[in-house]
Amino acid sequence: MRTTRRTFLIGGLAVTAAVPLAARGARASSSDGDRVLVVLQLGGGNDALNMVVPERQDAYYRLRPTLALARRCLHRLDDDFGLHPNMGELAKLFAEGRASLVHGVGYPSPNRSHFRAMEIWHTADPEHPPGTRGWLGRIADELAVRAPHSLPALHVGDGDLPLALRAERTFTPTLRAKNGLELRSSAARTHGVRERLLEGRARGELDFLRTAARTTYAAAERMSALAARPSKVEYPSSQLAERLQLVAKLIAGGFGTRLFHVELSGFDTHARQAPVHAALLGELANALAAFQRDLDAQGVGARVTTMAFSEFGRRVEENGSKGTDHGAAAPVLFVGGGLRAGLHGTPPDLSKLVEGDIAFGTDFRELYAALERDWLGVSPSTAARPFALFA
Amino acid sequence: MTHALLEPWRPTRDDPWDRDAAAHLLRRAGFGASPATLARALADGPEATLERLFAPRGHEPKLFAGIESLLATGNAELLQAWWLALLLGDGDPLGERVTLFWHDHFATSIAKVDDVRLMHRQNRTLREHALGDFRELLHAVAKDPAMLTWLDGNENRRGHPNENFARELLELFALGIGSYDEHDIREAARAFTGWSVASREFVARADAHDSGTKTLFGRSGEFDGDDALELVLAHPECPRFVARRLHEEFVGPEPDRATIDALAKELVERDWSIGRTLSTLLASKLFFARSARRARIASPIEFVVGTALALDLFPAPVEAANAAARMGQALFRPPSVKGWDGGRAWINAGTWLERVNVGLDAAETIRSGEKSFAPEPDDSSSAARLVLERLVGGADDEFANTIVAAAARASSVRDALADSVALVLTAPEYHLS
Repeated sequence: MRTTRRTFLIGGLAVTAAVPLAARGARASSSDGDRVLVVLQLGGGNDALNMVVPERQDAYYRLRPTLALARRCLHRLDDDFGLHPNMGELAKLFAEGRASLVHGVGYPSPNRSHFRAMEIWHTADPEHPPGTRGWLGRIADELAVRAPHSLPALHVGDGDLPLALRAERTFTPTLRAKNGLELRSSAARTHGVRERLLEGRARGELDFLRTAARTTYAAAERMSALAARPSKVEYPSSQLAERLQLVAKLIAGGFGTRLFHVELSGFDTHARQAPVHAALLGELANALAAFQRDLDAQGVGARVTTMAFSEFGRRVEENGSKGTDHGAAAPVLFVGGGLRAGLHGTPPDLSKLVEGDIAFGTDFRELYAALERDWLGVSPSTAARPFALFA
Repeated sequence: MTHALLEPWRPTRDDPWDRDAAAHLLRRAGFGASPATLARALADGPEATLERLFAPRGHEPKLFAGIESLLATGNAELLQAWWLALLLGDGDPLGERVTLFWHDHFATSIAKVDDVRLMHRQNRTLREHALGDFRELLHAVAKDPAMLTWLDGNENRRGHPNENFARELLELFALGIGSYDEHDIREAARAFTGWSVASREFVARADAHDSGTKTLFGRSGEFDGDDALELVLAHPECPRFVARRLHEEFVGPEPDRATIDALAKELVERDWSIGRTLSTLLASKLFFARSARRARIASPIEFVVGTALALDLFPAPVEAANAAARMGQALFRPPSVKGWDGGRAWINAGTWLERVNVGLDAAETIRSGEKSFAPEPDDSSSAARLVLERLVGGADDEFANTIVAAAARASSVRDALADSVALVLTAPEYHLS
């Protein structure tokens, strides 16, 4: 891509960087400047086979004597697949054409380590050890060039900043509290000098910390105003719902963030999986549905796409502890206004397993490419052909 | 021959044993120091200071006296507070530092173990072996009831292998990715079948053990768990893996290959003694290099404990533990078996605000008179200088001058102390370790 050196500001700090000159993606339109991507990470390895159930394949019932879900309890998606009984709210979104999924997403030589698999998804690179920048961090860097004073990405959760969001030029905050970020009132006394101590050039970790501090103080001020606003719909009471509710307030309130990373963890169900997994899927479906309806009610539903992924699916055959071990390919779920609705990709064929796992049919980087080119209008992170996600 | 960088550092006139060097050692080999400890280190020199770190005065016995009634409550918050009390008591800074390092390395969380007695017992095991033989430590951890619970030992049975422990052993505890393949994981898992927990004790259940032949790293035999551990320890990558982790923790994140090779060799030559390896590392040119000082981002525990020691604050341990947890480091509750990522991952808007808010609260305890300095400084300027000396080593640079100038505008000495503390504790410079 052609670039030009240009100096711009990040949180008041002058930075020189390469700025893309080339035309953006073919489908990028004037409206892509306010489109939002919410990435919802299902941490631990979601047993997607019990989420999107291949109800017509005998092997499913044979390999899962205690975990298989009865066909009559499922929410029908198409002739071959049904959604988990607890995901009725999500099934409605499918019926309305506001949800889609891509079957069999993965990559060659799948890795079954949580950490390595997550790194691969977070960096869009299965081949090399991870650097310090994630795939969303790279996009955030590019977006920061276009809108220097915005916060292009936010992390909503209580863990560390995920690798996906680590960037070189931008600093991504984590929102833990229900209302985002709040500073003690006694800060006012020393405010001016504290700001002055953040000025000046530094290198390495000191520069990183100064940028972090500046970004934090600015965001805290704007956010508290937006978080105080009421929502348009009732949200279920769950941690995921609370997090998505804050995301909806920030999107609808014009906070300007384009990328959100939200996590729901606990999917590492090695033993006695059924009740835990059912509760997680219920939390997921109900929170996602409330989120989308809230966005729709506020008139911004069409410019938000939510992608739910997990680092891997789980092994098709259940283990001896009424659980499942680490597997490979799995569907990726999408919710939003501009999607090509329905079920896409290569449906799993349980008679053609690879080392006991579902073979992958779509490389996850094709999904990233579609989100980058066709949704956000940013340069692609890989050479992958964009998947036809959007209508 | 010793690698040049592992040779002992000798202070010179240009590179002296000064407040900066002494504070560096006490920060990295412990959690910082009280003014008295730092003064003593300065007077004694590096060798005597290191000797004292390896032969500490020890914890106050009363910190262990009430442990049984604490455990009886089953309250994880109290267990966190207990460890914070040991850290704040400063009776064995190096021992605690290395124990915390192993807690991060063999990261086990009460979130799944759900039993304070097992978590406490693991902590005791880590403390007992902290500076000992890594091989014994690895064997002890593999049979630790909390670890077996955490990584599904009870689910790992003949005919139904559960790979959780075997995978993390190879990936995170002893070798690192690239030194083994999926086949090794499956075979190692079979070797560990039957290692379980019953009534909070380790038990090797013969009926659940797969006694068949396994092939691990190309060698075949009817291996059991102990055999598998010995094969892991005999793997050439194992000492290098441990060396890399020690370097990351005590020196910095990007070791070069020659340094790691030398440190791994040191470890093996010293019979896998972590203590003896660390006594070389912590006395080395590598460790005292200017580029290594204040080069890493302090962990929440370093920030909370270091601040309390430097200012003689004596916070309630439970509050200190909760503060560290809000900053992303809940003891006994690491985010995953990978432990805490550390470095830049400690910092985001949420955790930075917590650090700033804790710093501001500390300043307010001084303003309110709840905490006082003795002797009280004469004027605003000496108040600022005193705070700077305690917290950042009394630098005389632009940073220090800005703080002194700000303190000069305070209406009282007490306000000058409080404002200086607020400014230093919320300044990025202070959060480098």
